[in-house]
Amino acid sequence: MLIWSSSGRGLGLLAAAALLAGCGGGGGNAAATASEPQTASLSAQAALGEKIFNDVSLSASGRQSCASCHAADRAHSPTNALSVQLGGPLQDQQGRRSTPSIDYLSFNSTFHFAADGTPTGGFFWDGRAASLQAQAGGPFVNPFEMANADVPAVVARLARAAYVDEFKRVFGADILSRPSDAMGRMTLALSQYQKEDAEFRPFSSKYDEFLRGKVALTEQELRGLALFNSPGKGNCQACHPSAKAADGSFPLFTDFSYDNLGVPRNPAIARNADPAYFDLGLCERPDLAARKDLCGAFKVPSLRNVAQRQVFFHNGRFTSLKEALTFYVQRDTHPEKWYPLNADGSVRKFDDLPAAYAGNVNTTEAPYNRKPGDAPALSDAEIDDVITFLRTLSDGYTPR
Amino acid sequence: MTPSHPRALPARSLLATALALALGSAQAQTATEAELARKLDQLASELATVKAQLVQLQQQQQRAAQPAPAAAPAPVAAPVVAAEVPRAEPATVLTSYGEINYNRPTKAGQNAQADIRRFVLGYQHRFDDKTKVVTELEVEHAVASASDAGEVAIEQAFIEHQINPSLALRAGLFLMPVGLLNENHEPTAFYGVERNFVETAIIPSTWREGGIQLVGSFDNGLTLQGGLTTSFDLNKWDAKSADGRKSPLGSIHQEMALAKAHDVALFGAANWRGIPGLLLGGSVFSGQATQAQAVTQSRITLWDLHARWTPGRWDFATVYTRGSISNTAALNTPLVGNDTLIPKSFDGFYVQGAYRLWSSEDYALLPFVRWERFNTAKSYADLGAGLTPEAARTERVITVGADFRLSQNIVFKADYQRFREATDANRYNLGVGWSF
Repeated sequence: MLIWSSSGRGLGLLAAAALLAGCGGGGGNAAATASEPQTASLSAQAALGEKIFNDVSLSASGRQSCASCHAADRAHSPTNALSVQLGGPLQDQQGRRSTPSIDYLSFNSTFHFAADGTPTGGFFWDGRAASLQAQAGGPFVNPFEMANADVPAVVARLARAAYVDEFKRVFGADILSRPSDAMGRMTLALSQYQKEDAEFRPFSSKYDEFLRGKVALTEQELRGLALFNSPGKGNCQACHPSAKAADGSFPLFTDFSYDNLGVPRNPAIARNADPAYFDLGLCERPDLAARKDLCGAFKVPSLRNVAQRQVFFHNGRFTSLKEALTFYVQRDTHPEKWYPLNADGSVRKFDDLPAAYAGNVNTTEAPYNRKPGDAPALSDAEIDDVITFLRTLSDGYTPR
Repeated sequence: MTPSHPRALPARSLLATALALALGSAQAQTATEAELARKLDQLASELATVKAQLVQLQQQQQRAAQPAPAAAPAPVAAPVVAAEVPRAEPATVLTSYGEINYNRPTKAGQNAQADIRRFVLGYQHRFDDKTKVVTELEVEHAVASASDAGEVAIEQAFIEHQINPSLALRAGLFLMPVGLLNENHEPTAFYGVERNFVETAIIPSTWREGGIQLVGSFDNGLTLQGGLTTSFDLNKWDAKSADGRKSPLGSIHQEMALAKAHDVALFGAANWRGIPGLLLGGSVFSGQATQAQAVTQSRITLWDLHARWTPGRWDFATVYTRGSISNTAALNTPLVGNDTLIPKSFDGFYVQGAYRLWSSEDYALLPFVRWERFNTAKSYADLGAGLTPEAARTERVITVGADFRLSQNIVFKADYQRFREATDANRYNLGVGWSF
């Protein structure tokens, strides 16, 4: 059936196409050739990287490797539902932020400000690492993670690893005598592993198969996609692009930009017991300390494999997709559901930010552009539709 | 491109047509009678210059032939110069046109805008009697830089070779022979400050493709054009942008800028000028447009019918054009929910009448009125209940104004445009343009 109608939208011929999204700033799509599954064998460096990635002996506790928090069967994200992961010498220290999936990060770029000023790219929730390699070095010496005292301590552990001879064959017999260089080679091997192993970018979800024309989405999945895309409904694609790019590359469901969502404070993080403690995201970085307008902004994660996650947002405040999506659409229509009350009974919105930075929170774009009394941008049933669609983004789809 | 002037001078038109047939060049076949008339004037003027030069050279020769009073050798340069046959037309000709426009919306004066809409420089260089190259380099919106909206583009760059008196071959980047405006888009060639909507929103003027083209011109006034070209790129469709709603094909044309060239398109056009003052024509373009980069193949087809009639002081013109894109349901399904899905069809139609109210020497005042209706999203393929976008409302625009010709090459314009749907767009326009 064709729908011919004369009662649709006007043409808006001269309407300004002001589509400068608050998010955005380029990126967001994988290189066309990389969108196809790859089976090439790993280089010597990458093969070493795989061993390092899985080696618990490189941590102070002797119980934590990269894979401990970035499990291959969970799209390289945690297997548990903790808001933040535990680490340290005794595996009892809470990390500061939730652990994201590291899949598809080889398509990310160094942190920069896009032409329209949007902060974009960079690794970690605040983009402070310039590359996959730089990011790979962080957890080894983070006191809340693998908790090595310093780089020589990491290299001393490496010297006792089962694959140390292989490491020396690849990087030179005397490499361990120069700890800084040895650490650089370790992180290089880790980033090569992530770049070369297609497990970190499988493009094997139902949605990918749908884009390849090999499978159709169900009616509910398609409804969910429409709500996801619609600027007046979910408007999710404003920051999580869902369409193939002009060069044919597949969408990454992130534009690697930053946004301030005003996510509620998470009492499950012990540090939050201190009312003076705040995680300010971008503006905590020394190089961005003067950019108070960026306080509270965190990187937009990819939604690929989001249904496999057990906690959501930088502080892991929510534990289900339903809760996370409901927060998106009801944050401003029903703030009392998400935030504590002040003494006078009013709602203290954006309670995980100092009051001075509450104005940084995104309140202009859909679905946030609402107020108490308005209908949420998505109904409960529509949220279910979107979640059904989001489940199509899980890699490893096999047609039934 | 040299301009076409909508003038109604039957005697001159006859002469021009005769000249066109005598010359038999493809260039002549695609030009209008008025252009040929102008060319005739130019040739006459150049002939007079050549005659004068000949007389001068003959006098020089006579002087050189006289016995020198001294023993000094006679200069050798003069005979050499005299031996060269002067050309009727220089081998290389510089061309240019420009449009400076002012728009003032009646309901939103704060959006009034002045713009050097286009500034174009080109050259035509004739390698020999049969072969030439035609180029145009355009700057839009005055300044093109990383932080400005302007752009620089090559509009035409093709070789034309005259195979025989009635057949020419073009190869390179050329304007598609569609409608009335696309190949003759200089400000002196159309009425109104802005180009009409039908031939910008539906036919994406200035529409050019790269490829090869044969141009056949026959004694009965028929011109046939056809060839193979690059096509559109549907992978460029941006469902989040309003561009596809403004001009479906304008948003996915490639302009031979690293154009994806897997898909080849076919086009043909016929124009008949058998009766002086009358032009009847039509065209069709069809080509695949997903360039083997999508699972779904899709064909874009655009056709038009057009006519122009210039009886006496009158000048009437009309164009109907319709485009369609196949397999849009499959292409649109991943884009559901977006504002701008790919339409299945789009079309437009206009009628225009102009009258030479007053003229004196080169001056001429030509009031005109144009009525257009067009729809950039006339229909969408079915995507299922709740997902299929509604067709756009058909826009209707009436434009009333006048062109004042200072000469054949310079025009001042003023008009008023009234939109039936997008009423906020109602506006006054002023413009000045030139072309040579």
